[in-house]
Amino acid sequence: MTAAINGSTLRRGDLRLALRLALREMRGGLSGFYIFLACIALGTAAIAGVNSVSRSITAAITEEGQTILGADIRFELQNRPATEEESAFLDGQGTMTETVGLRSMVRLPDGSDQTLVEAKAVDALYPLYGEFQTTPQLGFEALYGDEEGRFGVAVAPLLLERLEVAPGDTVLLGNARFEIRAIIDSEPDALSDGFGFAPRLIMSEAGLDAAGLIQVGSLVEYAYKIRLQPGVPESAVRQLRANADEAFPSAGWSVRSRSNAAPALSANIVRFSQFLTLVGLTALIVGGVGVANAVRAYLDSKRGVIATFKCLGASGGFVFSVYLVQILIIATIGIAAGLVLGALMPVLASAALAGILPVSSDTAVYPGALLLAAVFGYLTALAFALLPLGRSRDVPATALFREQGFDAHGLPRKRYLLAAAVLIAALMALAIGTSYDRFIAGVFLGAIAFAFVVLRLVSGLIEALARRAPNVKSTALRLAIGNIHRPGALTPSVVLSLGLGLALLVTLALIDGNLRREISGSLPERAPNFFFVDIQSTEVDAFSELVQEVVPGGKIVQVPMLRGRITEFNGVDVREIDVPVEGAWVLRGDRGVTYAKNMPESSSLTEGEWWAPDHAGEPLVSFSAEEGGALGLKLGDLITVNVLGRNVTARIANFRDVEWESLSINFVMVFSPNTFAGAPHAWLATLTDPESGPMDEGEVLRAVTNAFPTVTSVRVKDALDVVNRIVGQLATAIRAAAAVALVASVLVLAGALAAGNRARAHDAVVLKTLGATRRTLIRAFSYEYMILGLATAVFALFAGGVAAWFVVSRIMTLPSQFLPDVAVLTVIAALIVTVGIGLAGTWRVLGQKAAPILRNL
Amino acid sequence: MTKPIIELKKADLTLGDGASSVHVLKGIDLTVEAGESVGIVGPSGSGKSTLLMVLAGLEKIDSGEIYISGNPIHAMSEDEVADFRGRNVGIVFQSFHLIPNMTALENVAVPLELAGRSDAFDVARKELAAVGLAERLTHYPGELSGGEQQRVAIARALAPSPAMLIADEPTGNLDTETGRQIADLLFAQREERGMTLLLVTHDHNLADRCGRQVRVRSGEILNDSEDAGSKKAAVA
Repeated sequence: MTAAINGSTLRRGDLRLALRLALREMRGGLSGFYIFLACIALGTAAIAGVNSVSRSITAAITEEGQTILGADIRFELQNRPATEEESAFLDGQGTMTETVGLRSMVRLPDGSDQTLVEAKAVDALYPLYGEFQTTPQLGFEALYGDEEGRFGVAVAPLLLERLEVAPGDTVLLGNARFEIRAIIDSEPDALSDGFGFAPRLIMSEAGLDAAGLIQVGSLVEYAYKIRLQPGVPESAVRQLRANADEAFPSAGWSVRSRSNAAPALSANIVRFSQFLTLVGLTALIVGGVGVANAVRAYLDSKRGVIATFKCLGASGGFVFSVYLVQILIIATIGIAAGLVLGALMPVLASAALAGILPVSSDTAVYPGALLLAAVFGYLTALAFALLPLGRSRDVPATALFREQGFDAHGLPRKRYLLAAAVLIAALMALAIGTSYDRFIAGVFLGAIAFAFVVLRLVSGLIEALARRAPNVKSTALRLAIGNIHRPGALTPSVVLSLGLGLALLVTLALIDGNLRREISGSLPERAPNFFFVDIQSTEVDAFSELVQEVVPGGKIVQVPMLRGRITEFNGVDVREIDVPVEGAWVLRGDRGVTYAKNMPESSSLTEGEWWAPDHAGEPLVSFSAEEGGALGLKLGDLITVNVLGRNVTARIANFRDVEWESLSINFVMVFSPNTFAGAPHAWLATLTDPESGPMDEGEVLRAVTNAFPTVTSVRVKDALDVVNRIVGQLATAIRAAAAVALVASVLVLAGALAAGNRARAHDAVVLKTLGATRRTLIRAFSYEYMILGLATAVFALFAGGVAAWFVVSRIMTLPSQFLPDVAVLTVIAALIVTVGIGLAGTWRVLGQKAAPILRNL
Repeated sequence: MTKPIIELKKADLTLGDGASSVHVLKGIDLTVEAGESVGIVGPSGSGKSTLLMVLAGLEKIDSGEIYISGNPIHAMSEDEVADFRGRNVGIVFQSFHLIPNMTALENVAVPLELAGRSDAFDVARKELAAVGLAERLTHYPGELSGGEQQRVAIARALAPSPAMLIADEPTGNLDTETGRQIADLLFAQREERGMTLLLVTHDHNLADRCGRQVRVRSGEILNDSEDAGSKKAAVA
């Protein structure tokens, strides 16, 4: 006997035994864990999916770099073709093709309709990589050649739709007639040649010459695409680039290579996917509340088993291990389901995004994306499960004899609190560490943490108010108010679960609403109706007369327009200056510049003075105050600008405020007229007529395009429609991610309400035996859900409103407004969800027979 | 004389706080020799179940000392007591407290597995055979009758060959006939293994089958048949 007493010590924490017992315990199935599983699967799927799709796109951009770029290396020049020397140098590097891109107006022969196109002229070698597919598929001559005075063009289907024409029809472009010979099915290098505002039209260089579109000062992009010998290493490509820069230091070309075919797009995809990851993480964290609820409920139901384990010799730590293993197994099932869904998303995305973005068509799995999602999933599950698990460790063996002496909702031991804190810190560190913009990620997570605390306070406040509420006559309302504050009330669960999801939805809806209002609501009142580009100096007066004739009340503004690139500040090469992000765009590529005798109307001076109208001395320049400030410029500084291959240096005479949002003609730099005396240039004009409707605008388009075929007309409304459409597409993606968070919210809410219904069945039966009718009980439950739903909606509106205001007015620096329709919809959604789900469960409860429950009381 | 298996010295325990506190054990002294069978009787709320829990190390006393086979369990940590209990004390509950998702065999094997025994399932099989359930090894508790469940619980309590078996109202949830069979089993096993049996019961017939009866009331031992007539073992 003594030997037995002093036998070998218990192998505490024996994980194998814990696993064995955990598996036995789980034979009862996953009942009670469906919400847990759904929450974890949903959040993990969102993160895995977003990251897999993003990686699939960036992988496709990298893998298909040659096709997307249409070359191994691409040199681009603005508004001037390469010189003979430059051209010879580039041609000597490999096989070269030249493409010319510009915007222009294509019109019907009878002048009855016209539309803007993104025109591109190619040579016979195009494309060097990938396949240019058309219907019908024709050779170069057959597609573009001159047949009886008509050159051929291939056009995007959208053009056929807009002008209601078909292959075989004739259209006019500039001064020439063109026959539509094919429809473009696939343009391999479309992505690197930029997203178009307008449908694509492709022709030969001979066709472009015949159209006479390229004139002095025309906005044209010349791209020189080079195919190198097969197998040329990346280092050789870099060397070629360096050689080109060295041979032609003032060429001013922008160069892209196959390994970096669409850098801006890649960066934007990564940035956007990381934002969506944060939204997905919100879904996971909201789901974490469901995890905590499920684990607590499960362990509550296991108190007897835990006490039995302890009676049979198990230590607290061992009990913790057994249930930790179970939670990990369940989390693994949820995460695995989420990863499978996430891994499938690139396949779905490749179908949805076909023709818009490149998505790798291979059914590749992105382990990095899945690993990130899995780590997020495990961290969330553990962080939220740890506190209830820690409490389970302290379930006393005496629980088998009596309930007294154990608080199932108290705090667990310090080590579990500490471990939960470490897990949450790791979760936040991972989210911030993998973010493109750590500041925004930090603010986002801080806001979620703050919302958690505030929601807890809100639920406490609701309970306190209900406790102090005066006695009301209505029995149902009295019962409802009592239900809100009694021990074990649903209040914290409902407020916490629904509050976060709803607040996120309100935030995104308000940001989206404000953006749309800003783009399409307020601007057109101030903005011009039309921009006209590439008006030749010889046409300016006639153009003005014609427009004035068509729109007598319209206001026409015409300014000279040149393109130039800033090369030096005070004699120092700008490439050697460290420029802050806010001002960097001014130095990136060519900017429009102008000259003026007088200060532009929509500007006001902040510093310095405007020059005399007849200024003839040193060239002067007026700089935009905001951008000048960002670049660290001051009055008297010298700026050198390369215009049409000539360097011009001017002194800053003043700074002026530019109201970019007005969409009227604005330039960062306005020079004194003598600066560009004699330089060839085109003009830019705007027409503003608040009274003009779509019919009048159509009339203007027709008149201008027919009289000045080489002038490009851009209707501001059309341009805004394009921007609106892009914002709309982004908003759809954001809403989809937010919807995942809301679904997680609803799942958690449904779980919390279902758990509450067990207690409700007991209450309902007792109340029924005391004379309560089913109708009274339904009213009482409805009032309760309504009060909780309303209170949560009010919180969501407040929190979402503050968050949206922060993003719109502080980050986007746009005017922010609260939108009442969002508020109304939020309240309705909250009420439908809480009362709907609540009553759906309660209805079943009310139908319970009294006897079985009473027998178990 | 052999060393006593239980020595309880001035054991005092109060449960709850403030106004709701109850002085459950009032400085109780009790000594039980190895191999004895002791029936603990008394009205509801008298403290008999608490006394049992204290002896099993399930409840810590506020003051006093408890020695089981000479081991001071009052001075052990919660986990040390759990380990000790797993090896030396078998417990049978009124409500059986079998683990619902484990078969009869697994339920019986659990305390042996927790003690790190590699022969856990062999021993469990033998113990179930000993209580007449050799044919019910793979049945889950939900598939067994009340009497069968209590037999599994007894097999589980006996499996680690404890020096002492504690039973709290072992027949309380069973009908008379099944209760009698369970009692027969308990006493037969005690006899066969020569172990100490402590039994809390309301049932006088069952208590009468014990060699010694301890009557508890209001946290004190009112009467102990061992020294009936000579002294009262209550300490205020």
